[in-house]
Amino acid sequence: MDDQVMTSDLDRTSRSEGDRARARAYYWDFWPSMVAYGLTLTAVLIWGHLDGQSPSRYLWALVPVLPMLWTVRAVMRHLTRIDDYQRLLLLKGLAVGFAVAMIASITMGFLGIAGLRTPAAGWIIFGTGMLGWLIAGNRARTI
Amino acid sequence: MNNRLKELRERHGWTQGGLADRLGVSRQTVNALETGRYDPSLPLAFRIAALFAQPIEAIFHPTEAPLDSSGLPGKPDLPL
Repeated sequence: MDDQVMTSDLDRTSRSEGDRARARAYYWDFWPSMVAYGLTLTAVLIWGHLDGQSPSRYLWALVPVLPMLWTVRAVMRHLTRIDDYQRLLLLKGLAVGFAVAMIASITMGFLGIAGLRTPAAGWIIFGTGMLGWLIAGNRARTI
Repeated sequence: MNNRLKELRERHGWTQGGLADRLGVSRQTVNALETGRYDPSLPLAFRIAALFAQPIEAIFHPTEAPLDSSGLPGKPDLPL
């Protein structure tokens, strides 16, 4: 049956069974961590009072980090499931994201020394790193 | 490196996804192999050779020139 595929169909670019299985596995690893992140973030915003004075606010501030560790675990597990070429693309994207985040970090550090104080510095570094990963990952896939 | 992967796949009547499943890789990887954007690892090259029942050198052909006297890659062969 497998060998009876129509010749005109041979160049179709739909995903294979293995691709779909790997995507499903990643989906079930990744999205529960995102949902957990959303729930913990909501809980922190409602009950955390991060701008208050209670010492417990530091513990509250750390709560959303836990589902992020779950997300990291999902990406690491995905890395072990995909093949060498896909791993190369993913790691290239991560490397660029890391480099961009480091440059953003140094930039914010020097701006901080020069007197520019922004409480969003961490988020700027995170955002640029993620953006670098996203752009580099997409570029690697399309080249 | 050039290869005959597309030709062999089409001769067997397989889609890229079908070949990917037989090799245990993604369709994206098969596409990258066929278009010469990616050279396979040795284990994958052996799997490809076993699947098509041909020696590796009958499927993959090096395009780089051999090392010159200084040990550096020579100039690649240019099409005439």
